Amino acid sequence: MALRAAILRHVRVPVQILAVRSSERSLFGAGSFFRSMSSHGDDRPTKDEVTERVLSVVKDFPKVDPSKVSSDVHFQKDLGLDSLDNVEIVMALEDEFKLQIPDLEADKIDSTHLAIEYIYNHPMAG
Amino acid sequence: MGGSSGPRLSGMQRQVLGLYRGFLRAARLKSIEDRQKIESIVSAEFRHNAKHVDRKNFLYIEYLLRRGKKQLDQLKSPDIDGLSSLDVGLSQTHHTKA
Repeated sequence: MALRAAILRHVRVPVQILAVRSSERSLFGAGSFFRSMSSHGDDRPTKDEVTERVLSVVKDFPKVDPSKVSSDVHFQKDLGLDSLDNVEIVMALEDEFKLQIPDLEADKIDSTHLAIEYIYNHPMAG
Repeated sequence: MGGSSGPRLSGMQRQVLGLYRGFLRAARLKSIEDRQKIESIVSAEFRHNAKHVDRKNFLYIEYLLRRGKKQLDQLKSPDIDGLSSLDVGLSQTHHTKA
């Protein structure tokens, strides 16, 4: 309690300044500040963000015509890539989202649609 | 293998793609320069074989897989930059050594 009192005494200076606006507001401000910090920790990208980043990785792939890329294109059927390119694209997605996708899963990701679904549902996607 | 109904890849195709992925993963652990060299050599080798090896020639593909796995194990060693051992693999295509 002594410590708390000591801290409060020190904190008084900024509080007094903030009190010009509203001391209650500054308390809420602090609360929402911490809340946003904590939610940032497990803040996974939204589906729109995942979609946008997946599409930009695919568009940047050297052999891909960016104008053909949408959120539902098949890498080999629609973009004319081969299975080796497919491996490279999935690896590039791993780099982008800081993931390691196991071989069994990686072999199944053959379209932007599946890539978006897989990454969006991955707990570690960053 | 496993009989999963999902992808239409054969077991052998999956092994080849797994090996390719293994090489690219190993390359990530090298310096940026080595990584780029390794990636271009590995990619050229796989694409060369994809084009020129008869897909029914299982014995030869199995041999290539075994050789590739050995080369990959060597590449994973931290002391190896991967170029000389991979150049041996590319000797038919007249790659000059760096």
